[in-house]
Amino acid sequence: MIPLLKRLGLNKYSVDQKSHIEVNTDICLTCKNKPCTVSCPAGTYEAQPDGRIIAHYERCLECGGALVICPFGAIKFRFPEGGISYNYG
Amino acid sequence: MSFDADVIIVGGGLSGLSAGITAIKEGLNVILLERGEYSGAKNVSGGRMYIHALQKLIPDALERAPLERPITKETYEFYCKNKKLTFSFEEKDKKNSYSVLRAKFDRWLASEAESLGLLISYSTLVTNAYRENGGITLETNRGTLRAPLAIDASGVTSVVFRYLGLRNFTPDKWMLGVKEIIKTNVNLPESEGEARTIVGLISGVKGGGFVYTNKDTLSVGMAVTFDSLPKSEVPAKDLVESFREKLGIEGEVLEYSAHAIPYYGFKNLQQLYADNLIAVGDSAGFLINDGFTIRGMDLAIASGMIAGLAAKKIVEMRDFTKTSIYYDMLKESFVLKHLELAYSRFELINKGTTLNIYTEVLCDLLSDMFTVTEDRKTLIEYALLRLKEKGISLTQAIRDMISAVK
Repeated sequence: MIPLLKRLGLNKYSVDQKSHIEVNTDICLTCKNKPCTVSCPAGTYEAQPDGRIIAHYERCLECGGALVICPFGAIKFRFPEGGISYNYG
Repeated sequence: MSFDADVIIVGGGLSGLSAGITAIKEGLNVILLERGEYSGAKNVSGGRMYIHALQKLIPDALERAPLERPITKETYEFYCKNKKLTFSFEEKDKKNSYSVLRAKFDRWLASEAESLGLLISYSTLVTNAYRENGGITLETNRGTLRAPLAIDASGVTSVVFRYLGLRNFTPDKWMLGVKEIIKTNVNLPESEGEARTIVGLISGVKGGGFVYTNKDTLSVGMAVTFDSLPKSEVPAKDLVESFREKLGIEGEVLEYSAHAIPYYGFKNLQQLYADNLIAVGDSAGFLINDGFTIRGMDLAIASGMIAGLAAKKIVEMRDFTKTSIYYDMLKESFVLKHLELAYSRFELINKGTTLNIYTEVLCDLLSDMFTVTEDRKTLIEYALLRLKEKGISLTQAIRDMISAVK
């Protein structure tokens, strides 16, 4: 299996200075299953030992999944300026 | 207050460009906003287009468009644990659908649109939208634009509808599409291509996978509902890799991409129009899965063309609350007719458990028939036995069969 970061590296990114994803990590503390960590195709969401989520926004494939992934509305997502470009589509 | 254009189209994919081309031909003053550096930089598709709508938009498209291969072979593969059921259908010289790579295709379509005079503003991201003085104001990273009519062609996330509070998304009505492009030697004549549909290879998820043959690459991917992802045997980030490895497809990976796919079905479609606003393509939720065909691109092109024609009528009437004209035209077109026609089968397929269970019943039934021992029953006896094992009554099976052929 090709590692995720190598696969993501095939695309062209122009990452904004500010994250286009905001996570209310207090809500994450109460979330047991953390569907964001298994549902994101870019591994953007990573659970910390204390249960909070950090977002690796620079990996984001802009699939839009953040708008439906979190059942508690803890993730705020807007499209970034720049962001990802695909070569082949 | 003055407006910047008759119509502003948000999104430079297939539906937006088709709307733009049509509206320009109708003589409207149009601006199209595309957030990518070029059309096709942002969008992801499985990679197969039924071309009837494209041929209406651009009659000589088959000679000029950067299409990959005509799909002349359909293969279905159903996996049920240690059993596999597969069948293929070939039709040489068929030119009804083609594999496409959207970064190439959309760029070409955008150049066609620009040569007709469509103004496309690239790298332009809509950051907010609101109603003001009888029109819609769009805030973008390049300034504010106003128009009495906006066409939302921004894809499944419907940015204009969303900013106006007109969308409600749920994980069971969206699928995650994940795809890789694999460099490979395709041992087929240029006039042939294959589409493989693969179900049951990754357990837990609701959905399936595909492999489309391009000129010298393969598009390999999966589409599964977001709500089923937590039950998947592999996390989403490994879905397509795991799928590809199980299929034994090897080659250099050229691209890894993902996108949400609308999966509403005719009866669950969201609002398609509002005052001053029209939704087309994925933004309208136009996707058909009837078990035989999975279509979005032809619906995107056709709905875009209809939106362009409707825009002309609305502008002429000078009443921008009359966007229901678009809906009336859609109802008369194949777009809504086909969506409605596909609904019973769409619903049956969408009942993920039904699909999986029937596949298992069929696999077990075939296994029964291919196994010879002293104890031998009739086919109908085996069928009833296998259905009973899965807790399906004969009445239910017949009802589902009728839905499947409707």
